[in-house]
Amino acid sequence: MNLLKQIKQFLETYKVEIYSEHLSYSKCDNAHLYDLLPIPFTQDAVMHIAGRIKQVQDFLGRQIALENVSYYTPVAAEMSEAEFVNAIVAESGCKLLLDVNNVYVNAFNHQYDAKEFLSAMPLDKVEYIHMAGHNQVADDLIIDTHGENIIDPVYDLFEWTIARMNPVPVLLERDFNIPQLNELQQEMNHLEQICTKKWKHEHVTEN
Amino acid sequence: MLLKTETYEHQSQFARYCRDGKPVKLPGTTEGRLPHYRRLVFNVVKDSLESAYPIAHSFIKPEDWEEMTYRFFNEHDSQTPQIWKLPFEFYEFAIEQDFATQYRIPFLNELLHFEWLEIEVFMMENLPFPTYQENGNWLTDSICFNPEYRLVKLEYPVHIKKPAQIASEKGDYFLLIFREKETGHVQFVNLSVLFTYLLEHLLGGENQLQEILADMIYIFGINDDQLLRNKSINFLQDLKEKGFVLGFSK
Repeated sequence: MNLLKQIKQFLETYKVEIYSEHLSYSKCDNAHLYDLLPIPFTQDAVMHIAGRIKQVQDFLGRQIALENVSYYTPVAAEMSEAEFVNAIVAESGCKLLLDVNNVYVNAFNHQYDAKEFLSAMPLDKVEYIHMAGHNQVADDLIIDTHGENIIDPVYDLFEWTIARMNPVPVLLERDFNIPQLNELQQEMNHLEQICTKKWKHEHVTEN
Repeated sequence: MLLKTETYEHQSQFARYCRDGKPVKLPGTTEGRLPHYRRLVFNVVKDSLESAYPIAHSFIKPEDWEEMTYRFFNEHDSQTPQIWKLPFEFYEFAIEQDFATQYRIPFLNELLHFEWLEIEVFMMENLPFPTYQENGNWLTDSICFNPEYRLVKLEYPVHIKKPAQIASEKGDYFLLIFREKETGHVQFVNLSVLFTYLLEHLLGGENQLQEILADMIYIFGINDDQLLRNKSINFLQDLKEKGFVLGFSK
């Protein structure tokens, strides 16, 4: 509760518009693990998490956004990832932080169609987009590292996605192996070009 | 809690596997993927400890360091949600487990403590600074200090000697660590017993310098009070240049 009070105060003091959390767990049996562990895609998990999201939203007096995470194995899943994310959003009334790179990574790792997955997402609830690079460590496995440049197929997926939704902020994530600023700027420019192409055009047409 | 016991158990087993690596049977997992989680989670902890304790990490034998970090990772229930605070829990764990004796590094606790203090002082919450003026009388005015500091007594010279030389030089060492007001940089000042006494009493704020010096002449059996006065003022002037002494009370 103390943490939530501090967060509320922080959000108000700095007029923060979007507050998000990962749809994962990182503490279990009274120990923090400091990474994003995969929640079992089950109905009871949906109800449990949605209840907690509602508690937080009630306390903060605002909707929060939940981010789809990369995962390398499902655990005791009763439903698909898309069904799980949809159920969380519907049950809790939260927004979605859509990490397009994570969708690409998960589609590769679990052999599903990324566009099919995105078509099943509540894109009207997306409040924010994350983009990042990743590392392919085996023929059948990508690790979401935020330590490389974004690859072209992820840019393509980003373009395909934003064509189907309203404009929202986009964040480039880079946690380590950080290149010179001009290289990062090129990635930002690339993202901005795509946003301008897809969103400005639509905006102008509408007006 | 709306989670079924079964779901909770699956999460618990997954987290437990990440920490101890013992084979686990979890339904619906993809073969060969669990070890990646163990590796990724451990790397977060390992990186956090290595960046917090660069001296200890470079000095301790790699196999010993790896064993210590794996033991910590496996046996210790990390309590802080803030990863930057985790190295402090490692320091506490090292004391609790008596790593110093087991790995035959008698100064290990102090080395870890010393390295941790740099982080602690760097990250500490801002404290209110006193209002002060630049000029005043060292002997009779109240001296204002930077409030963001730690004054530490050590038994080993972990702050001034190379690790290979530390063990043989057990003694009494004193150290001032503070955060520069303007830059946020952490500074270390090695102190003598005499100036530690002086600083402790000035920081206590009960007496002015001339009263403390009078006590010191008596306590330490000093004959040359003029020399003590001059050296003490030089010491405080040096701390003023470094940014620990701010000035004098208004």
